[in-house]
Amino acid sequence: MTNTKAPNELAARRGYSYRMSRRSFLVTASAAALAAACAPVATSGSAATAASSAAATAGKVLKMGQLLPFTKVYAELGNSMRRATDLYLKNAGNTLAARPVQVIYEDEANDPQVGLQKTQKFIDQDHVDVMLGIVATPIAYAVRNVIDSSKLLFIETNAGGNALTRTTAGCKPSCKSPYIFRASFSSYQVSEPIGEYLSGKKGVKDAFVFIADYGFGTESAADFTTGFAKNGGKITGTLKAPLGSADFTPFVTQLKAQPTKDIYSFFSGADAVKYIKAWNDLGMTASGYKMNGAGFLTEQDVLREVKSAADGATTSLFWAFELDNPENKAFKDLFQKEYKLLPDVFAVQAWDGMRALDQALQKVGGDTSDKQKLIRALEDVKFKSPRGDFEFDKDTHNPIQDMYIREVRTVGGQAVNAIVDKIGRVTDPGK
Amino acid sequence: MLQQALNGISFGALLFVLAAGLSLVFGMMDVVNLAHGAFYMLGAYLALSIVRWSGSFWIALLVVPLVLAALGLLIEPLLLRRLRGRHLDQVLVTIGLSLVIVDFIRLRDDWGWGGEVRSLAVPAGLDHSIAVAGSDYPLYRLFVIGFGVALALTLGLIHRRTRIGALIRAGVGDAEMLGALGVDTDRLFARTFAAGAALAGLAGVIAAPVFGLQPGMDVDALIFSLIVVVVGGLGSLGGAVAGSAVVGPADTFGTVLFPQFALALIFAIMALVLLFRPTGLLGRVRIGR
Repeated sequence: MTNTKAPNELAARRGYSYRMSRRSFLVTASAAALAAACAPVATSGSAATAASSAAATAGKVLKMGQLLPFTKVYAELGNSMRRATDLYLKNAGNTLAARPVQVIYEDEANDPQVGLQKTQKFIDQDHVDVMLGIVATPIAYAVRNVIDSSKLLFIETNAGGNALTRTTAGCKPSCKSPYIFRASFSSYQVSEPIGEYLSGKKGVKDAFVFIADYGFGTESAADFTTGFAKNGGKITGTLKAPLGSADFTPFVTQLKAQPTKDIYSFFSGADAVKYIKAWNDLGMTASGYKMNGAGFLTEQDVLREVKSAADGATTSLFWAFELDNPENKAFKDLFQKEYKLLPDVFAVQAWDGMRALDQALQKVGGDTSDKQKLIRALEDVKFKSPRGDFEFDKDTHNPIQDMYIREVRTVGGQAVNAIVDKIGRVTDPGK
Repeated sequence: MLQQALNGISFGALLFVLAAGLSLVFGMMDVVNLAHGAFYMLGAYLALSIVRWSGSFWIALLVVPLVLAALGLLIEPLLLRRLRGRHLDQVLVTIGLSLVIVDFIRLRDDWGWGGEVRSLAVPAGLDHSIAVAGSDYPLYRLFVIGFGVALALTLGLIHRRTRIGALIRAGVGDAEMLGALGVDTDRLFARTFAAGAALAGLAGVIAAPVFGLQPGMDVDALIFSLIVVVVGGLGSLGGAVAGSAVVGPADTFGTVLFPQFALALIFAIMALVLLFRPTGLLGRVRIGR
């Protein structure tokens, strides 16, 4: 398989969509067939320990579809998740539960229609056994029905839209499916607890909301408002910036012109950088304003660029690079050794998706033909992730996980997310 | 409100630096250079590397336009000259050029470029705020206003008072006749294109500390500069001034008053201008093309 890996890596490095040419498809397919033919010899030892019902599938190639963005605005997220996936497989000797794994990467190009087409391709042409991935919520919503109706097992590894794992009226805009698991988070989980925390433990009475004007920003603001209101907190106003606004100074000027000191924000990536720089330029912190938000506001990609400008910001997320546990340390070491890069939260999510699948496959002896059995095995998955204890909520298939309250501090010249508190076992309400 | 007015004016000043080059190239060569946004992006990333290497923003401000000008001097004779007169083909070549530049930037992880967000620190000395009408205002944005105004005055002087300015005015009026009078138009076109690229690079350096660097910034810049030259009038320096003076503040007040429609507002202004003054606010009717 080594000779088929080179073009993959090249494609990823270039940030292009990984599309197999007919030639490399043939090479991969024949190599996979060869591997499949050899596998019974290679794995006969472990096959003996597997459940007897699985004897038929042991050694058969496990086809995995990974639908990730390799172009457009989220290309770097896709690349990071791909690195984690490749690393997990490399670490597992390219086999899961004694089955050699063939990963087919497709580019969803941040477009629901493209995502839907590629999902159809996974189902109709590639006949994949499982599917993982998807960064943007609109794409997850767009593929939900086809996954549900074709009974394809799908582990979603980033998109956080609440409806994907909830019971909703008329399944609008989406709803939970027995075939869909989520290894990432729901908007609720990164937004509601910090609201409750600020108005409760911190005694904040008023907050002003400033968010990116798109689905996820609006959802995050609504969940924050619910949590904040639980301890009598009041939202004094809301300001929305169009996604990808060129200039954030006019918005921050408006924040400064209103009296509420605590600001709750949802931004990420380039928008977060521009927002924090404008915040700093206008001397908001010196004027007594305080930045709060969902964790993506101050992840490493942002902190690396804004340096100490975000100091004092309080955010919540299910992971932090600085999180101190043995699994996180091992994961960071492994990742850095392989890629000479620091892992990010997206890599953690892809890693956990693979880990959950691996554990479930072990339990059913690699047998993916009985979907109900595999679903039950996934529902029982429990492990220690770099983010802490990980398990799926049996009812919604959304993870039950701890939320960390992090404060940005400059330590040794570097801006980091210091963990200041923890909200244990946050579970999505499911409706 | 005064602060928001300053925000709008500094955004307008930046748009002027950006749009002046596009307008100049169009006026002289009749080519809408769709690689203008990519030149802007390249300027910003070059500034990032130069600041990292030399530690000085001012060196970047000086060197980047020179590098972009050299690039322009190469590109015009190599790619555009042989397509002269075939406007659509020239436009297509500039689109291709922009794709190459943007992908090149994304590939260069090893130079600290790549597909992730980058930002450039505000230069020391301008990185604090000063009191304006009882509230703090970032000094760098005032510098941007000053820079834009100074550049407009300088370009205006060159345009009106120097020989090269006279040649440019003549070229905009009728390049063919200018050639018939014995002026080496090939050289003039190459230099004009180089100047346009240099202005785009300059805008990239000036904008980087405010707007940051990320994939897609080329398209944003191109759209804004196209709007500015359409509103102001294609091919005239005064048009670029007028266009940016309208579009900058309109965008800022749009985001303040009705954020959801800010972009719609500037497109509405553009539509109105096209309806009632199709040549732009300060554009003239051009003949003979």
